[in-house]
Amino acid sequence: MEIHKTSWPMRVLVLVLFLYLLAPVILVFPISFSGDQVLQFPPSFWSTRWYTALFQNTVMLKAFWTSLTLAVVVTILSIVIAVPAAWTMTRTSFFGKEFLFNLFTAPLLLPTIVLGLAILIVFASFGLLATMQGLVLAHLVVTLPYALRVLAVSLGTQDRACEEAARTLGAKPLTVFFRVTLPMLTPGIVAASALCFLVSFDEVVITLFLTGPRISTLPVELYNYVFNQADPLVAAASVLLILLTLGVIMIVERAMGLGKAFVK
Amino acid sequence: MTVSTAKEDHLRLENIGVSFGSVNVIPSLDLSVRKGEMVAFLGPSGCGKTTTLRMIAGLITPSHGRIHVGGRDITALPIHDRDMGMVFQSYALFPHMDVSRNVQFGLKMRNLAAGEIAARTKAALDMVQLGHLAGRKPKELSGGQQQRVALARALVIQPSILLLDEPLSNLDAKLRDEMRVQIRALQQASGITAVFVTHDQVEALSMCDRIVVMRNGRVEQFGTPTEIYEKPATAFVANFVGRTNRLKGTVDAQGNLSAAGQQLTSSAKLEPGKVEVLVRPHRIAMQPAGAGKAAEGGNLVQGEIASVTFIGDLVQYGVRVGGDEIMIEEATRRCAPPFAAGDTVSLAWSAGDTLIYPDKDQ
Repeated sequence: MEIHKTSWPMRVLVLVLFLYLLAPVILVFPISFSGDQVLQFPPSFWSTRWYTALFQNTVMLKAFWTSLTLAVVVTILSIVIAVPAAWTMTRTSFFGKEFLFNLFTAPLLLPTIVLGLAILIVFASFGLLATMQGLVLAHLVVTLPYALRVLAVSLGTQDRACEEAARTLGAKPLTVFFRVTLPMLTPGIVAASALCFLVSFDEVVITLFLTGPRISTLPVELYNYVFNQADPLVAAASVLLILLTLGVIMIVERAMGLGKAFVK
Repeated sequence: MTVSTAKEDHLRLENIGVSFGSVNVIPSLDLSVRKGEMVAFLGPSGCGKTTTLRMIAGLITPSHGRIHVGGRDITALPIHDRDMGMVFQSYALFPHMDVSRNVQFGLKMRNLAAGEIAARTKAALDMVQLGHLAGRKPKELSGGQQQRVALARALVIQPSILLLDEPLSNLDAKLRDEMRVQIRALQQASGITAVFVTHDQVEALSMCDRIVVMRNGRVEQFGTPTEIYEKPATAFVANFVGRTNRLKGTVDAQGNLSAAGQQLTSSAKLEPGKVEVLVRPHRIAMQPAGAGKAAEGGNLVQGEIASVTFIGDLVQYGVRVGGDEIMIEEATRRCAPPFAAGDTVSLAWSAGDTLIYPDKDQ
């Protein structure tokens, strides 16, 4: 029984669009198993030498751990800051609330290159360049708006009657928050965390301004690497990054279903 | 239905009122609910019934006035210290907790011993016949089951007052009838004082000891279901509770009542001026023209049937009298309606069934 029978021109169109979007990503997989010295398709012979090379490249490994630590710290801080902020935005009313909310989410609208330059100028005077603290602060500027938006929507659509029911049953405001509001917010928190993690792990433009020989992130190192040589090592790194991203998305999917976490 | 008048007031609202911004939702309300009785707040949406309930629960802070429960002033008491059991329209079950943890919540907040919590939770779930579903999550339950969990959760804390906010409006008709009986039975068995907010007159009339009919934040009438139905204090109450015919009439200087081009009688006190004449459809006896006779001092008018509507247990006739149409309801028998459109008929009703109210609209 087929209810929706898609006409074949439509199928072809969708297929072409998908190929257009995914071809570069798919292409990375065969290239990463190339035995060649340079990036080319198709490879003249297959090998896993670039994976071996990647895992022996101390610069890349160090950058990976920096990126991972950075992304985890930034994600945790984003959630810790954004949950109370989103709660205040959705559960209280005060003068200038709308303005504040728009101000907090404004970085989403600014060109990141402008943001990066501004952060560079400010951080230079505080000695925050090429430091972990500096990177965390800079990434928070980008991830907080995402976290705030996702959590505010999540909190805004929660049934307020549940909190009221808890209060009538004798729960004090703080107890209501930790035993009702926060558990009910779990899907939103998972979604916001995944988003913050991926945004931070992926951030290049702003990070470029703030990294140096002392500290660097994986995307920036990959960028630098491609600048100097054109071997399939970056393809191997890309494959691993794609798998990591898929892993994060699958965790979210497992936890509650993508639709529920992001769309809601 | 009898209401014991000896019992003392349990809940007392004193000159209570609230405004939201410039909107004066409830100007001033005085109300007393006796211990162990179930009182309905009945009215159309926006009449302030839910607002009043939420003020009792503490979810809305009144702009002025006092609330007393059991002789104690609770106006300034925070919600969590008020000891109210509230059932919400959406049930508001905690989605992340199973049925038994939902019911336990209020007991845990009271820091009771684990044994007592377990025993009271079990008793409450058995009371609503849901003991076998204690491990289910709310979303795995039907609407009626969720409703019963909400009821158990509110009753298990043995609250001083049970507050019910349109608890039946999300159920289908058949389940609603069942729950009506169940809620009333539970309330009477536990002897708890209950306030029931509804816009459904059947719920109010059938479940509650007394009814507060509200409109625009004011009390139109406060009385037993019989009083509300038989002696509506205002035209609004008569219209809102039960079906009624509403005719424009006049009373002349000699105290003669006329409406729909007919001379009518009423046992109500008649003041000269424009009036509204209300007669319940099923209080009118209809007979073939000429055959009907008025009771002593009653009304008898002639008319022509304009419409016949069969609705199962009732037949509704629209009868043209003068320039107006009067609706009549008769119980159906096992045959086709005895009258058809175009028949001329006589209508008879007693003077006591002619309700008269001053006409405020003109």
